[in-house]
Amino acid sequence: MLEKFKLTEVWLKIALLFVFSAFYVAALSFPEQSRQFPQLLAVASLVMTAIALATDFTRKRAVRAEISGVDDTELKVLDADDLRARKKRYYQAWAIILLSTIIGYLFGFLFSALCLFAGFALVFGSRAKLPRNLVAGAGMTVVVYLVFGVMMGVPLLNGVLW
Amino acid sequence: MDVVLQAIAAVFLWQNLAALAGGSIYGVIIGVLPGLGPSAGMALALPLVIKWDPVTALIFMGSLYKCSNYGGSLTAILVNTPGDASNAATILDGHPMCQQGKGGVALGLSATAAMVGGTLGMICLIFAAPFLAEFALRFGPSEYFLTALLALSIIAAVVQGATLKGLIAAGLGLLLSTVGFDVITGHLRYTAGWAPIEDGVPLIQALVGLFAVTQALVLAESATSISRLAKLFGGFWEGVRTYFHYPVSIVRSSLIGLFIGVLPAVGQSSAGLLAWADAKRSSKHPETFGEGNPEGVLASETATNACMPGDLVCTIALGIPGSVGAAIFLGVMIIFGVIPGPLVFTEKGGLIYSLFFALVLTSFVIFVIGMTVGRRLAAMTLLPNAIIVPLILVVSLLGSFAIRNEMSDVFISLAFGALGYVMLKGGFTPIPLLLGLVLGELVETNYHRALMISGGSYTIFTASIISKILIVLTVLSLIGPYLGSFWKTLTQGEK
Repeated sequence: MLEKFKLTEVWLKIALLFVFSAFYVAALSFPEQSRQFPQLLAVASLVMTAIALATDFTRKRAVRAEISGVDDTELKVLDADDLRARKKRYYQAWAIILLSTIIGYLFGFLFSALCLFAGFALVFGSRAKLPRNLVAGAGMTVVVYLVFGVMMGVPLLNGVLW
Repeated sequence: MDVVLQAIAAVFLWQNLAALAGGSIYGVIIGVLPGLGPSAGMALALPLVIKWDPVTALIFMGSLYKCSNYGGSLTAILVNTPGDASNAATILDGHPMCQQGKGGVALGLSATAAMVGGTLGMICLIFAAPFLAEFALRFGPSEYFLTALLALSIIAAVVQGATLKGLIAAGLGLLLSTVGFDVITGHLRYTAGWAPIEDGVPLIQALVGLFAVTQALVLAESATSISRLAKLFGGFWEGVRTYFHYPVSIVRSSLIGLFIGVLPAVGQSSAGLLAWADAKRSSKHPETFGEGNPEGVLASETATNACMPGDLVCTIALGIPGSVGAAIFLGVMIIFGVIPGPLVFTEKGGLIYSLFFALVLTSFVIFVIGMTVGRRLAAMTLLPNAIIVPLILVVSLLGSFAIRNEMSDVFISLAFGALGYVMLKGGFTPIPLLLGLVLGELVETNYHRALMISGGSYTIFTASIISKILIVLTVLSLIGPYLGSFWKTLTQGEK
């Protein structure tokens, strides 16, 4: 039973139960015609999620659920160290994305683009190829600016600070 | 007949041929950039063409629309990110083919499908448009509602092989589509006072998040290039030859595309997925679908390309767009003084037939583009993560940002990216969620309209023959996957 709680699938379904319940409860304050459809959907989705969750717990053993969108062939042969390394890379990617988005919010989207290229080159690229990756990133940022900023008029340099 | 001949002659004027070539190239570039689909491409190109002659401008926009769909299939195959919802089915087999190093073959299949499906669809519709539009007019609100439900249930049942999970994802998508102003009462729902989602969860931003951001995260995590074999097997012409090995699938997928296309507001996203599901069901080896079966790419791409002409007929003749891209195209037409409606074929016949013929030519232009640059684009799958991941993120998030020039749209895309990643890890595919989001407004509006017409009686949903057929098909699509094993148990017993 306890091993089932180690699965992302189980936690996702539990989270979905809360999400669907929240949709139902939040709709209580809407006028009747506005709440009818979302409440109907929320109840149907809630029931289906509960059934799916119950099915997970009646299974004899835990089954890793990742589907073809994620390459699970690797997961089957990866040891604990590799899995930890994957997790680390995932969090590093999010850190770069969030930091560059904040920079983009403050200074304009173009700086966000520059940070993404530089961040991934620094963290994910090999040290030997760092200069090449940085130059490629800077070049692509210039192309983005010329195509979208100059030719199409997208305000890439508008941030909240200026 | 004179009108048609004059319309064809008009396409060969130098400015219209230049618009066709320019729109095609621009469309492929826009489509190739993950997240920037036909709608964003047309929106970005509008300032450029606003002062052009209407025929030239609409040829440019039509070519852009069609080619960005093709470009979207390139990214679906190469980086597992559909340029638009219409390419969602292509990722199911196209990207696994790419991972096996058969990116060139998949691109050849996709370009041939664009040429064959698009040409077949266009030729059929030039002659059959009036009859098909008349049939589509028999659809009332209850039929629209049930058609959308059928599309959702089929996708939920077949796309992943786990009906319940598919339905849960579709339910979440439909619920998210209720965020914002209620189209019937005007009441604001689930926005928590946040202005960027008052008009609803923005579709393009959600799409960018669910596919591009999720894909970037998956790539970043795996630390390998997109093609895990580090080299590409098979070329464009192998894909072309493979395409013609499946004549039955070509015909079936074209017919599915045509039929779905002519149904107002159902659109290309449903056509590709339904044709893929149909090919899987009728195959002797259904287990190979989703693992890189070329027939899967063929079916989805042929249907999507055959669907677009029908989609345009509904948009032009009825004013009901079949997809987000068609909705933008509808707006472009109105800007150029072409008011959609039943009379448009007589009042603006020359312009409409010029557009149709230009789209036939565009199908061949796509093939040439695929033949000349497809292989080079396939090489993109060998780029290291340190370059490809930020490139996907920058271009797709830029597509999200450029629509309203708001950083809040980037936050929305990132939120959907996180959701898409968790869904994949949790064994859910985000495709039914996206379809729920796309069809949500159609489902709810027609649900309410049908009930208003019937005075609140639910019998309206079973009143017509079309409704009854749609209900039977929906039920069959849901229980169908279980019937096979039940029948086997019944006839062979438990072994």
